[in-house]
Amino acid sequence: MSDSSMDTDDLARWASVTGWSATPELTPMQTLLWRAERHPVQSSTSTVVIDLDRAPDWDRFVAATEWGTRLVRRLRQRVVEPAVPTAAPTWADDPTFDLAYHLRRERVADREEMLVHAAQMALRPFDRTRPLWEGVLFEGMPDGAAYVLKIHHALADPLGMVQLLSMLQSGRRDHTPRKPVHEEVDALPEPGPVDLAVTGLRADIASLPASTLASARRVGTAAARPQVVLASALRYGASVRRLLTRTAPPSPELSPRTGRMWSFLTLHAPIDPMREVARLGGGTLDDAAVALVLGGLRRYHARRGSTVAEIPVGVRVSLDRADDLGNRFAGALISGPLAIEDPVDRVAAVRGEVLSLHTERALEVLDAAAPLMNRMPSFVGASALRTAAAPDAFVLTLPGPPRRRYMAGAQVQGMYVLGPLPGAALTVCLVTCGDTACIGVNVDGSAVADLVALEECLAEGVEEMVSAGQAVGPM
Amino acid sequence: MSGLSAAVTEAIEAIEAGPQGPAVGAFFDLDGTLVAGYTAATFYGDRLKGRDVSPAEFLRTVVTAVDGELGGDPTRIAHVAFAAMRGESEEAFADLGERLFRSKIAGTIRRESRALVMAHQRAGHTVAVASAATKYQIAPVARDLGVEHLVCTRLVVEDGQFTGATDGPMLWGRHKASGVRTFAREHAVDLARSYAYGNGYEDVAFLSSVGHPTALNPHRDLRAAAARLGWPVLDLSDPVGGSLIAAGRTAAALAGMNAGVGLGLAYGMARGDLKEGRNAAIRLATQLPMALAGVSMDVLHQERLWTHRPAIFVANHQSALDIPVLGRLLERDFTIVAKKEARWDPRAVVGSVVIDPAWIDRSDSASARATLDGVVERIRSGTSLMIFPEGTRSATPVLGPFRKGAFHLAAQAGVPVVPIVLRNTGELMRRSSLVLNPGVVDVCVLEPETDWSVDDMSERIAALRAKFEETLARWPK
Repeated sequence: MSDSSMDTDDLARWASVTGWSATPELTPMQTLLWRAERHPVQSSTSTVVIDLDRAPDWDRFVAATEWGTRLVRRLRQRVVEPAVPTAAPTWADDPTFDLAYHLRRERVADREEMLVHAAQMALRPFDRTRPLWEGVLFEGMPDGAAYVLKIHHALADPLGMVQLLSMLQSGRRDHTPRKPVHEEVDALPEPGPVDLAVTGLRADIASLPASTLASARRVGTAAARPQVVLASALRYGASVRRLLTRTAPPSPELSPRTGRMWSFLTLHAPIDPMREVARLGGGTLDDAAVALVLGGLRRYHARRGSTVAEIPVGVRVSLDRADDLGNRFAGALISGPLAIEDPVDRVAAVRGEVLSLHTERALEVLDAAAPLMNRMPSFVGASALRTAAAPDAFVLTLPGPPRRRYMAGAQVQGMYVLGPLPGAALTVCLVTCGDTACIGVNVDGSAVADLVALEECLAEGVEEMVSAGQAVGPM
Repeated sequence: MSGLSAAVTEAIEAIEAGPQGPAVGAFFDLDGTLVAGYTAATFYGDRLKGRDVSPAEFLRTVVTAVDGELGGDPTRIAHVAFAAMRGESEEAFADLGERLFRSKIAGTIRRESRALVMAHQRAGHTVAVASAATKYQIAPVARDLGVEHLVCTRLVVEDGQFTGATDGPMLWGRHKASGVRTFAREHAVDLARSYAYGNGYEDVAFLSSVGHPTALNPHRDLRAAAARLGWPVLDLSDPVGGSLIAAGRTAAALAGMNAGVGLGLAYGMARGDLKEGRNAAIRLATQLPMALAGVSMDVLHQERLWTHRPAIFVANHQSALDIPVLGRLLERDFTIVAKKEARWDPRAVVGSVVIDPAWIDRSDSASARATLDGVVERIRSGTSLMIFPEGTRSATPVLGPFRKGAFHLAAQAGVPVVPIVLRNTGELMRRSSLVLNPGVVDVCVLEPETDWSVDDMSERIAALRAKFEETLARWPK
């Protein structure tokens, strides 16, 4: 691809970023997470570690970040809460925004030290009155540098974060002049908390006749056809019960969890063999990622002399068509098999578990309950999130940029997402980055007795998947 | 009319157009997929009837079943049932399976499922029943469908008795999927090119293990999942059960038959011609009741019924309905050979007055031979003969072996054999049922075959039977 077409690509991509995050209000789910946040045990912080082939020029890096915050308005906005929760919180421009507060650089001796720093950085809570991100450029490592970006879930979920970063990065090493910027809008006067609450209340009152009517109609239907309503309610209840109770109990090898000691691990694998294993098992890359983690945990359990046959794993299920990257997702638990030795068979088993979730009508239960819970004091929402059974591991796959990109002249070697640990012992995110699968693992240090062994076992799990994908020869 | 819905015909054409051979698997769930309803319920109903169930066990079963419906572990009910079987003889249970198959389950096999199974068998696929049920429920069905492989829950048997435990997990949900994958590895089946059919919400994992899953008459939650996953859904028609209306129509039909016989015979006596009277009685006694019961016929090659008379008509036999149907087809100048014991069967007695069958006493071979000599005489003098070469009715549409008697008669009398294939009479009137259901009977008259002799009789019978099978498998359009 020639440089000029690369430019056009970049420009088109950047222009599209300006439309990103346009709605001023937080969605019900974001609101729930925002209000229920109890960092770090119930954290909404995700971290990206971006490996760079060299340390970029600091001034150019600052200038590029400055440009990024102008392109994506939300990076300069903060969340304003209404005085009483009658309305959703709103994004508003932060008049005191100072890039220097959010972006800095540090020197480290090597990559291990950088990961330790990154974990500590992620554990520190956000200042909730400022824009919800923080970036540190780590320099001084023998092979290149690393940019660590910490983002609050209300600003972007991990998927949005990876998308945003892949959009902001450049297709070439050289500087691009005349980059598009967000047309300057007159900063709206920041809404006060009381104004927000009053506006919300007014909207509630305005919709009261309609919602009363709807409730009355529902009651009427229920009275007219009680058996239908009862049957439907029972089926829904049964589905909820299955979703909450019908998974494996947590593994004793992955407890006790405090959620207060985060350790970051990174692993990588060539993407083609991973896709091939997925194909052989009749599954997707998501299924292969879950199978990979299970393979690593299988070895870890075996090494610790444990005979646990299955563990609860949190996966993301699309509420739209199964394999599409729809917009509506639900988190759900599956029983991940630890007893299956063959990686391909493990992928197939995971596939079956994940697809079986689609028969559950209550899959979107948390989504459905979010608007309601937002009207209650935040501790209610927090405890609701806690009762949702916690898995041993969350596994998430995120599509990154299709080829290697650049940040202020430094080539991106890998992009690792380290998610929070909401009750789980591990959170694993696999990001596809060019021809590499970048696997970021956040481990609860208090739940895992032998962290070194776990890292070795996960690496063996990666190796096992890759060789299973290569065994059948080139694609 | 092929009798299969457009969707099923399309599915069968896709199977025919797809890859062939044993590396392609076809896995069929049992309950709700191959058969309508639950075989386990049939077994349990039998236990209840036999008072093998204590009130405590019954209560436990009901509570477990309800809990399973309400989101509890739905496999626990089966384990309760298995535990209750502790100490029972395996052989007796297998016999019970055979008995329940003949009396109840055989009639619940879906015709279109059978057509799908046969399509896979014609394609040379490795066909298996994959079910959480035990082999005592599945084996008779599988044998009837000609399916060799079972992937199912195994019960532990010690000294010929059940221990109440299962050997390995119950093949439900993920375990059925895992069982299918193990089977595929052991039999070199390529799952990506294979087919699976299931109906329960727990079948998603099982269905997702193959490249061509089909949700067949799916449970509502599987239907929702199939829509989301983009899996094809096939809705097959269930075997018609005896409804009250159908029972009423049957009563009317029987009354109609008797009235028809009476009228016909009265007509014959008035004319002083018993033979004409009989023919009139056949017409009335078959047309009237079939019209009253709402049964009509769709006949292919009707002209062949008339080009070779007198002849020996041979047909496959699945139902008591076959006799009025054939009577209606042959219309006049024919009789049947029947065993002497059937003479006083209330269902046959009316017909026997009308068509004056040749009764054979099977216990006395000299008398049997004498009767048959008489039959040859009757044929030569112009009365055609209708014979079911399978001898007895089969419980299902599967063709039994052909006996030689009909063909010997054809050779002796020097008349042709006219083969008649009946497709779905068994469905409209089940083997052991007195109830006739409304519907359309598919009939195909094959090419009449002449010049029978003892020399090549066996080969020709085998060839003719193969034609029956072929016609039943691929109904001509």
